[in-house]
Amino acid sequence: MKRIETEILVVGGGATGTGIAWDAALRGFKVTLIEKRDLTHGTTGRYHGLLHSGGRYVVKDPVSATECIHENRILRKTHAHCIENTSGFFAVTPEDEGPYPDKFLEGCRATGVDCAEISVADALRREPLLNPRISRVFEVPDGTADSFLATHATVQAARHAGAQILTYHELMGLIIEGGDGNRRVVGAKVRDVAKGMDVEIRAQMVINATGAWAGMVTQMAGVAISVVPGKGVMVAMNHRALNTVVNRCKMPADGDIIVPVHTVAIIGTTDERVTDPENLRIEPWEVNLMLEEGDKLVPNLSKARVVRAWAGVRPLYQEDYAGASRDATRKFALLDHKERHGIDGFITITGGKWTTFRLMAEKTVDLAASHLGARKPCVTATTAVPGADQGNYWLGHRLHEIEEQKLQGQLICECELVTRAMLENAAKQNPLLTLDDLRRDVRLGMGPCQGGFCTYRAVGIIHEMGKAGVWEGDAGHQTHAAEEWDVAYIQSPARNVNGSGSVGDRPQQQGGSVGDRPQQQGGSVGDRPQQQGGSVGDRPQQQGDRPQQQGDRPQQRAGQTPPLFNPNLLLRDFLQERWKGVAPILWGRQLKQERLDELIYLNVMNADHLPDDQLASAMTDFYLFDTTPNEHEVHP
Amino acid sequence: MPMHTQSWESVGPSLDECIKCNICTSYCPVAEVTDKFHGPKYSGPQAQRFRENGQPQSPDHSVDYCSGCRVCNEVCPTGVRIAEINARARAQAAAEHGIPLRNRLLGRSDMLGKLGMIAPGLANWGMRQGFARSIAEGVLGISKHAQMPTWSREGTFASWLKRSAPNRLRSERKVVYYHGCSTMYYEPYVGKAAMAVFEHNGFEVVVPEQGCCGLPLLNNAEFPAAEKYHHHNLEWLTPYARQGYQIVGTSTSCTLTLKEEAPDMLDIHTPEARDLALAVWDIFEWLRELHAQGQMKTDFQPIDMVLPYHPPCQYRAHHIGSPVMDILPLIPGLDVRESHARCCGGAGTYVYKKEKYQIAMDVGQELFTWVDEQRPVTMTACTSETCRWHIESATKLPCRHPIEVLAAAYGLYDLEKRKLTKE
Amino acid sequence: MSDLFVIGAGLSGLMAAYTAARAGLRVQVVTKGLGSMHWAAGTVDVMGYTPEELSRPVQRPLEAIQALAHSHPEHPYVLLGSHQVQVALEEFTALMAELGLPYGGAGGFGALAHSTSGDNLLLPSAVGALRPAFLAPSAQLAGDMARPEPLLIVGFTGLRDFYPELIAENLAKQGFQARAAFLPLSLLTEQADRNNVHLAQALDLQARRLKLGGELKRLARAGERIGLPALLGLDDHAAALADLSAAAGAPIFEIPTLPPSVPGMRLYKALRARLWRMGVRIDVGLEGIGANVIAANGTAGRVQWVETATTTSRPLKHRAKAYLLATGGILGGGFDSDHTGRIWETVFDLPLTIPQARHQWFRPAFMDPAGHPVFNGGVAVNAAMQPVGADGQVLYANLWAAGGALAGADPIQQHSLEGLAIATGWAAGQAIVRALAQ
Repeated sequence: MKRIETEILVVGGGATGTGIAWDAALRGFKVTLIEKRDLTHGTTGRYHGLLHSGGRYVVKDPVSATECIHENRILRKTHAHCIENTSGFFAVTPEDEGPYPDKFLEGCRATGVDCAEISVADALRREPLLNPRISRVFEVPDGTADSFLATHATVQAARHAGAQILTYHELMGLIIEGGDGNRRVVGAKVRDVAKGMDVEIRAQMVINATGAWAGMVTQMAGVAISVVPGKGVMVAMNHRALNTVVNRCKMPADGDIIVPVHTVAIIGTTDERVTDPENLRIEPWEVNLMLEEGDKLVPNLSKARVVRAWAGVRPLYQEDYAGASRDATRKFALLDHKERHGIDGFITITGGKWTTFRLMAEKTVDLAASHLGARKPCVTATTAVPGADQGNYWLGHRLHEIEEQKLQGQLICECELVTRAMLENAAKQNPLLTLDDLRRDVRLGMGPCQGGFCTYRAVGIIHEMGKAGVWEGDAGHQTHAAEEWDVAYIQSPARNVNGSGSVGDRPQQQGGSVGDRPQQQGGSVGDRPQQQGGSVGDRPQQQGDRPQQQGDRPQQRAGQTPPLFNPNLLLRDFLQERWKGVAPILWGRQLKQERLDELIYLNVMNADHLPDDQLASAMTDFYLFDTTPNEHEVHP
Repeated sequence: MPMHTQSWESVGPSLDECIKCNICTSYCPVAEVTDKFHGPKYSGPQAQRFRENGQPQSPDHSVDYCSGCRVCNEVCPTGVRIAEINARARAQAAAEHGIPLRNRLLGRSDMLGKLGMIAPGLANWGMRQGFARSIAEGVLGISKHAQMPTWSREGTFASWLKRSAPNRLRSERKVVYYHGCSTMYYEPYVGKAAMAVFEHNGFEVVVPEQGCCGLPLLNNAEFPAAEKYHHHNLEWLTPYARQGYQIVGTSTSCTLTLKEEAPDMLDIHTPEARDLALAVWDIFEWLRELHAQGQMKTDFQPIDMVLPYHPPCQYRAHHIGSPVMDILPLIPGLDVRESHARCCGGAGTYVYKKEKYQIAMDVGQELFTWVDEQRPVTMTACTSETCRWHIESATKLPCRHPIEVLAAAYGLYDLEKRKLTKE
Repeated sequence: MSDLFVIGAGLSGLMAAYTAARAGLRVQVVTKGLGSMHWAAGTVDVMGYTPEELSRPVQRPLEAIQALAHSHPEHPYVLLGSHQVQVALEEFTALMAELGLPYGGAGGFGALAHSTSGDNLLLPSAVGALRPAFLAPSAQLAGDMARPEPLLIVGFTGLRDFYPELIAENLAKQGFQARAAFLPLSLLTEQADRNNVHLAQALDLQARRLKLGGELKRLARAGERIGLPALLGLDDHAAALADLSAAAGAPIFEIPTLPPSVPGMRLYKALRARLWRMGVRIDVGLEGIGANVIAANGTAGRVQWVETATTTSRPLKHRAKAYLLATGGILGGGFDSDHTGRIWETVFDLPLTIPQARHQWFRPAFMDPAGHPVFNGGVAVNAAMQPVGADGQVLYANLWAAGGALAGADPIQQHSLEGLAIATGWAAGQAIVRALAQ
């Protein structure tokens, strides 16, 4: 068993956890962060991408509103390249008449959220598809955020400052010493799910930053807290339609916001209290509701092509919880378990929202420091993460760079303009277990065809990289990657041209010389020994606690240890992962697209009859979660 | 002018239909011969998702190499308005980078027409002088190899109309003729042939005030100017449409512009624009309908010859099939052979541009080779004027409008001398 | 006015047009755009997997069709009977031989009866799985895994649609001797952005393919056969294949990969050229948007005309004696659907066997071996390929249907895409010829 000694162990690789690791490392603490899947895999990577101005909270939750506008101004500087400056409208549709708009204006003034009423004509000129029947429009400094990139960037900054980040490391239990009234968390038992290894991490402070999963972690210390997973479904339209965030000017409710993020427009969201944060079902009634509500802001939006749907879970903390979950507070909750439950060395941070992650981290590390002894002061509000020098991103930046550098022939994911070098550099320099991890890095497969063309290409390229020895001697490369993860320019085609990345040193790329590559001359190609080394292990805990999943997988799979980066497994996993998000919205054009993807993979490739069909990765079961429509077309 | 989505009727949202299959790029005649153009899918539905909001546009000019032939639209299995998306992207780029003087000149066929008509002999002579053309190429970027149209030496179509007014047929059955700039200034005989055909079939022809359809401007990315032109035509022509007139044109590009190009590219979806579009007919589309009703005269004289006919790219966009092939084969003796070549390469004013001349010639090779295979032939035919000029220049064979052939079959027109028999 | 008006220019529509035109009918084909063949592998898959045996490929597809009769009486193959399917395939192979793009089977070329063993071919796919196909163009035949030669899979550095090491590794895992090698893409093109079709056109030039052949000779070991991405020439393919094989001194075969499919484009262009020569008009870019029908109580109605979309709101009307719906299913655009679960046939609004409810359309896994129910339904027809209602009665006396629009099969999942298209297209063509003769 591997042992790690650290000062602070952060559990959870979302925005909050990574923010804590960054902050604590900058203050001079020795920090280790564990995340059971990939960074942002929980809630951070499943939200609609709004950089709140605070406008949504000015009436209902003024404290949150003030926090939001404060953090909004900071993140635009510290994480500039992760943010698009879209601006935001609050529009009064015919259904929103009443006293709310005036309360809204008043709330903005009281909370410090910049707000200006603009003429409807002006709003329609800027956003011609907006409902022409709106009566008033207020503009606020909303923006949109790439939460994958922002979290990666925060992590890179944390690693620069000395933090250790371990993805695909799942918390199995807390190590607790002492008896009643004098208990102390001294570390955690962790499972490296990629390698199938146990790891023990000793720490003076364990910070539970698992968001909607926080109650499950405190349970490991025998403490019950009320964190309600509030499930929200989001629907992404195939193209932006709008370039400004548009909110309904009313009390926050289902489907009242359209957020243009990168190439898509996201309609959000529902809010359903669920018992299990892993319950990511997308009900037909939720999809239908998003489309119907979206039409109220942008008439006929529902007739445009839907590219995907997904669900995320908000962490909603309430001391004495009851009632509908949207009414639970969106303020964050910082729990000192020593003070509350007599358990030393253990802090929980939950609640809140992406926009306030940095503030949450600051307050959390302040509390940790009060126990561990203060070091340096917090500097995250004035420290830019790597890559922020690029300034705010804008929709056309990839197109622009590709044309400037003439990289059109290099495109691997044609929908989202991902070049081969971007893919290779991300794969080489960042940890990954599945192509889905690469997707979050470079937006692979996130466009209209949903992996229809790029899955094959990405699998072929990763496989070739493996053959060329890119990961030689590092069978467990998914936790290695490069010495330093390089994410600063990960999304920039111009910064990832052939030769600039270290991947370019593959033999066949240099000379363009004709002939066999040395390692292939031995004859037939088969499994290489080092590929079979890693083991994924039993994954008992993953299979047990999710009743909705298919429980009838062949028994022999459980004990099998798949070779890492088996191309057939990469391919199957990613196709299923993409399917999971399109299955809820398959009709019309996206159904046609799916049928083309079927023709490619089930017929031309015959990829459902490849060898290694019994292999499973740490994510296979997660991807098999059933998201196909049920009969609930209206809220049951 | 903001180029982003104005309405769901705009061409932009049709990108939603794209399933990424790349059939368009595989059939694109321009992408086939040059990689200065990265193909219709790349420039069209793919790039369009990155193009909203008036943000800075493509720094390269690859979309400018799209010739607008619409092979992509035709082969697209899902109905993406690829060529139109590209045209709008060109316009956006032009709005940012500015429009070269050359393109401004080439975009104004009415103004060029009027200028040349001041002294057509001199103008035509100038156009044939190597020295002058070298200057034009050096200064303006107008290819010195491209054959320019020749200004009419017999006066404009309007002047002939005025001269021949007393001879016009009066009839209960009326039709409006939209002649366009080329008939007006360069090829009045095409208009005369059309008038003869209309009248032979018993129709009184009304030629109301009309302006350039604006297509050359649209092609050269001058949207605001084109919008002005279109509004004039709406003002002049829509009243006729609303009185029930059919507005028939001999230029496939002009009729297409009135029907679809102008409203779609300029996002003008008013009732006026719709009413006008509904009343506009291509002349062979109109004749086919007349024939289907059994009302087209077929008192043809035989024409014994092989006639290679090239349907111009605009017919693709009309979505009316190949109406010329429904009518010309009715002429006894005439062996009309339809070209299946994708494009002649000329593409309106494309071939006149120095940097595109060779591409235009390479694209057209498919057609020129086919014409060669049909020899011996004495002439070819094509429905669009700029195509005719380009095909003549490349094949060294006369190229006629099919309406001239039809008028000749009625015995009203001398196909060789390009004049009415009674003139 | 034509005798037969075909809507759709996929394999079924063109096969029907050919059958009818050869019998002397005047045929017009309209299509919204090109598709179908341009996406698929260019082989003729007749029956690769049966609904009963989803994991192992069918060995003898014509026999498997006979076995379907009891379990799947609604399957189009069952409606036709395996003999008709075989006759249609023979017609197709004869046609393709005439067109210089010969198709052969496990036993070689020529009339099916005496040249193929009746076995499926097993051809390596672009990921190295084995694809069951009944007939393949000559360029793919040397890939049959029943042949003994070891395989050399050759790719081009930087080509985004072909990964030879992946293919070789998967073939090796399945017990075959296979290895991979790369050649520089500059052998095919100096240009930076070319797709597979453009690269195929590059090999229409003899100088290029001779150079490539020489490099292949250098790479290949004695006794090996060489697999290449399917881009060995487009318009001069037969010569390209011959030149390459001769220069390489080894059997060469193509492996089809991502769309656009070069083998499929060759097939389309060959069929199109044949139809043009027969005087069939093919109007690409005309989308069928509706029809005018006379419905009748108790007896079959009649189609009066079909409308296609134009730029104005004046649809173009097409009148013919007979109409064939060959628009394909969901992928071909023959059916459309919306978020309420409504799914409809787009030209005649024919009844579909697909349930009008999204929750009955899918199974949880993308690769569920049983396929997704939404892709199994379509237009129900009788043995003469005429659309019928729920009561089995013919709906319109002058309407036929063929290909991907038909109910009762999932041709992508079952690997029967081209076989179904050819058999039903041919059968519909025959039925129309018979009907118009009366």
